[in-house]
Amino acid sequence: MITAEGLGKRYGDKVAVDDVSFTVRPGSVTGFLGPNGAGKSTTMRMIVGLDRPTTGRVTINGQDYRKLRAPLTEVGVLLDAKAVHTGRSARNHLRAMAATHGIPNSRVDEVIDITGIGSVARKRAGGFSLGMGQRLGIAAALLGDPHTLILDEPVNGLDPEGVRWVREFVRHAASEGRTVLLSSHLMSEMSQTADHVIVLGRGKVLADAALPDLVRAWTTARVHVRSPRAAELADAVAGRDVEIVTADPFTLDVTGLSASRIGDIAAERGIPVHELTPTSGSLEDAYLALTGDAVEYRTRAVPHTDAPLEGALA
Amino acid sequence: MTAIQARATHIPAPAGRLSFFRQLRSEYLKLTTVRGTWWSIGIVAVITIAIAFAVTSAISGPVENIMMAVLMPVQFTMLIAAILGVISVTGEYSTGMIRSTFTADPVRGAVVAAKATVLGVFMFVVSLITFGVAAIGISPIAASKDMAVDWADPSKTILPIISASAVMALFALLGVGLGFLLRSGAGAIAVTVGIVFILPTVLGLLGMWLSDLTWISDLAKYLPASLAPNAILPSEGAEMNAAQSLGVLAAWPAAALLGAWAVVRGRDV
Repeated sequence: MITAEGLGKRYGDKVAVDDVSFTVRPGSVTGFLGPNGAGKSTTMRMIVGLDRPTTGRVTINGQDYRKLRAPLTEVGVLLDAKAVHTGRSARNHLRAMAATHGIPNSRVDEVIDITGIGSVARKRAGGFSLGMGQRLGIAAALLGDPHTLILDEPVNGLDPEGVRWVREFVRHAASEGRTVLLSSHLMSEMSQTADHVIVLGRGKVLADAALPDLVRAWTTARVHVRSPRAAELADAVAGRDVEIVTADPFTLDVTGLSASRIGDIAAERGIPVHELTPTSGSLEDAYLALTGDAVEYRTRAVPHTDAPLEGALA
Repeated sequence: MTAIQARATHIPAPAGRLSFFRQLRSEYLKLTTVRGTWWSIGIVAVITIAIAFAVTSAISGPVENIMMAVLMPVQFTMLIAAILGVISVTGEYSTGMIRSTFTADPVRGAVVAAKATVLGVFMFVVSLITFGVAAIGISPIAASKDMAVDWADPSKTILPIISASAVMALFALLGVGLGFLLRSGAGAIAVTVGIVFILPTVLGLLGMWLSDLTWISDLAKYLPASLAPNAILPSEGAEMNAAQSLGVLAAWPAAALLGAWAVVRGRDV
């Protein structure tokens, strides 16, 4: 369990984290979302005592990280893949980390095996690809078999097999009752991994909810309908609070009515229906709706033109 | 996949708690698993032994103690000792390793103490071996020139070797302290070179120019570059004996490490 109470961090004039409170509970995967510069990494660094909070506090199972007597066995942390001396081999890096807690070399070889870095374990970490560095970081986090995992962008740079491995690994860890806090920018990945989501924006908590609740609250459900008599059906279902978008003469996208209700109406009128698909919004839609005003480094919209790309760039 | 997951989390790691001894072991592993360390001590050994042989071969007349041929190179190698101390710390900052170090052991004062202990002892032992080998190596040449190494008198052989090794260790510690204080390798090495080589020259010039101000030349006596030779083979009529010189020299790394300890504990990594 990770508990932040009124947590704040200021670097000079810049407020990175502003009075943030949340609880990360054991037995589930909590996703930590937010635009670049929202304060996710700063918060994670404060959790593990690297940065000192300006205000408030954050504890792990009620204890300050800096007071833990065996931190590696309590918390496994991947802050960034580059927290490794480039001149040291992966295995020696892990051995040096393990030595601080008297963790035997057999466990070092085990985490090397688990994360699949055996073939490069004796090579210098400076030559690692992003993905291999990421796996090494995860191996270090696993050394002490910790109850709590804090992983900042763990799938960044991983191949699809690695992405899937991380997903299944953290799901499994949560199922064993461990606490998992995971940040990622990959919304589709997060929606498959997280049970609960905390969204940060400009240093504040924008949302803290179960993933399905968040998606429901911040997106609109649609029903995709295909019918040879679409126009007739559109007239039949039209009403207050019902919004209909038609892309072609045979399809409707209906907002504000359930799929079963549309099906019933079609049946009453004897209108054939070829497809009736309820589609809910995605985490990405919810996230973009939530953080729309909180994006610090906004990109310029790409202009829509029919001109070929070469022409547009010329 | 299931099998892998089960292994990932089901085998309990037989882990213990943090302890200073374990931190020492970790720091020792870190020191001996990067190439820079072996390059540094390799250079120290080569310079020491080469100069010892060159000086012994070149000297013809009688000298007071031929051990000076072995121990004189400390004037150069002490800078390498300090640089090894610096890079053992700043290498962690520049690569980000320091974040792994401080999350594994959040008691930062203990990390500073363990790193300093390991560097100091390592440098001391390496120097002891290097000077021992050099002294034994030049013995036949020295004996053939009637300047035999006087092993029977420890104050002329064993004690200077121990003092010289201690001087090397103290310079490594100065490097560790400056490394933690400044975090930048270039910055800390520049400051070390400044203290060891540039400050004596500046004070020397100032002392000549402002010859009325005797405190300038007094101050120069307390610089590491002046204290080190006197701690090893004290010159005739020197104000301080070897032990006193060594004690005053130790104040430099002590100050740097105390400063490092104070700063590192409160600083964001």
